Amino acid sequence: MKKRTLQRGLSAFWWLTLIFLYLPLAVVVFFSFNAANSAARFTGFSLRWYERLLGNEQIISAFWNSMVLAIVSAVLALVIGCLLGYGMYRHRHRKLGWLIVLIYLPIVLPDIVFGISEMAFFVSIHRYTGLLQPGLLTMIISHVTFQIPFVALIVYSRLVGLDPTLFEAAKDLYATPFKRAWHFLLPTIKPALISAFFLSFTLSIDDFVISFFTSGPESATLPIYIWGAIKKGVTPEINAIAALMIGAVAIAALMSLLFNRQGQR
Amino acid sequence: MSHPTTVAKTTDQGATESRSDSAQQSGERERREPSSIELKGLHKRFGKHTVALDDVDLTIEAGEFFTLLGPSGCGKTTLLRMLAGLEEPDAGHVCIGGQDVTDIPPHKRSVNTVFQSYALFPHLSVRDNLAFGLRMRGDSKKEQRRKVDEVAEFIQLGSLVDRPVDQLSGGQRQRIALARALICEPNVLLLDEPLSALDAGLRGQLQVELQRIQKRLGMTFVFVTHDQDEAMVMSDRIAVLDGGIIQQVGPPNEVYEHPRNAFVARFMGHDNLFAIHASGDDWVDTELGRLHIDPAEQREEQDGWLLVRPETLELNAEVPENYNQLQGKVMERLYRGSRVEYRLEVAGVTMMATASNLGQRLLNVGDQVTVSVCPDDLVRVAS
Repeated sequence: MKKRTLQRGLSAFWWLTLIFLYLPLAVVVFFSFNAANSAARFTGFSLRWYERLLGNEQIISAFWNSMVLAIVSAVLALVIGCLLGYGMYRHRHRKLGWLIVLIYLPIVLPDIVFGISEMAFFVSIHRYTGLLQPGLLTMIISHVTFQIPFVALIVYSRLVGLDPTLFEAAKDLYATPFKRAWHFLLPTIKPALISAFFLSFTLSIDDFVISFFTSGPESATLPIYIWGAIKKGVTPEINAIAALMIGAVAIAALMSLLFNRQGQR
Repeated sequence: MSHPTTVAKTTDQGATESRSDSAQQSGERERREPSSIELKGLHKRFGKHTVALDDVDLTIEAGEFFTLLGPSGCGKTTLLRMLAGLEEPDAGHVCIGGQDVTDIPPHKRSVNTVFQSYALFPHLSVRDNLAFGLRMRGDSKKEQRRKVDEVAEFIQLGSLVDRPVDQLSGGQRQRIALARALICEPNVLLLDEPLSALDAGLRGQLQVELQRIQKRLGMTFVFVTHDQDEAMVMSDRIAVLDGGIIQQVGPPNEVYEHPRNAFVARFMGHDNLFAIHASGDDWVDTELGRLHIDPAEQREEQDGWLLVRPETLELNAEVPENYNQLQGKVMERLYRGSRVEYRLEVAGVTMMATASNLGQRLLNVGDQVTVSVCPDDLVRVAS
């Protein structure tokens, strides 16, 4: 009897957790379809807020900024992080664990500290050289910076999970170093790379604080736009943006998970 | 040199006959001559203190099934990896087919390896795994397909070729790994304990099959194992290694019957070694007392070991006068079906004796027994 009570309690706890996690999201999505301009009263189903989004140039521009930032930074982080992950694997016997700690440190720092330091750094470079004016480029650099360790770790853990003799088998079967990378290494870690890409993409879309400090006047992303807009109160329009972002991030995160699992099969 | 070439030629014909019609139609494949291997003064050290190989000199004939045998850490795998090019010697030279390949990287050596873990590429199908070496080498698509079909026929892979790698059993993986290495028709095939992960029945079956394949192709095989039975069954010659040093090289019967030192004797499974205190023209003094030996076994050194093979002992038998005779007592009996093993106590020392089970009355524990052995069967072994 006692055991069953415990199980019921745990099950209830689990449902409660889920409710706190997902109910707020559901509320936002629900009210994004509200016909009335209210976040409290649902008067009927309507897509008018989504239509309004398409007509709002600021939002469209913020959307494109977000996409360019996320895709470009994720691709760059993928290339650099993949090289780093492979390097860590190749030299794993040399005890390079401190290296990953070193690149991990900035991202375990509070975002605001990381964001402010990046900003200060870019501002001083700009002052002395005229380069790196705050804008999309500086945002891309800082996003790549915090995505690299995630990519490197995903690639590294995939490589460590491989039978090391596979590398030797490729050598033994006449593959030159370039052919080994192209016909063996990349196809073998492809799922990990795709997973890492979607994770980086999600991290970039999600990020507000670091973007906020490194952006310029022309490079507001969706989270930055929302931040500015909610000063006037939460409108159903904001709900609509939020709903779309929830959808996009959920898909990207799911893809990341899916490919990561496929790779570990 | 003449002997292995003839082997290659005759087995070549055998292989052609047994190959399928389709393979014959597509033209006789141009077979490379098997290569001999020469190792000169190979030295390898890992870290400061571990010597993996200590000045190893070794010649392996072309077309030979050669086995490197020894306990783990004896250097046998390091030696094999040097042949593949996966390990670089600190000193010395590796020559394959008369060419010095010491500084040639693995992907440029006409040598292929069957790895202990099989190392099949998980992202590729069985067919693509088989074709990998050909593809990397730049064979045409058509050529690749033909060779895959041919090797699938030769190793009798059947429908395995179209299966995903992760659905294969251990034995099936083993065959694919072998086929993947053979398909490239290397001058030398290296096998790194390829059977150690299989269960005993399958292992026995594959031992015979591997040996047959080697004889049919006439290819030089270098095989690494720690299992002396496996080594004896399969090899033309065996090199026994310990501590990075080759202890003995020879055909299986020579290594088994005339081990050069106590290590080789023990590793080949001999338990009956008795310390020699003194020796003369045709006798030795051991823990067992004075025994007559073949004068040919006479050595310069006074000490060493006397090897008494359990299967050469005769129990309670009528024997010629020149035989050594000892009195003993049965301490233990191990019934093995085709043979019976007895643990005896002779002159206060333990001695093993094996008798073929020919239906004679079995001895019982506690029985007194007369042990006889022909002087010719006693072998002196250096310490």
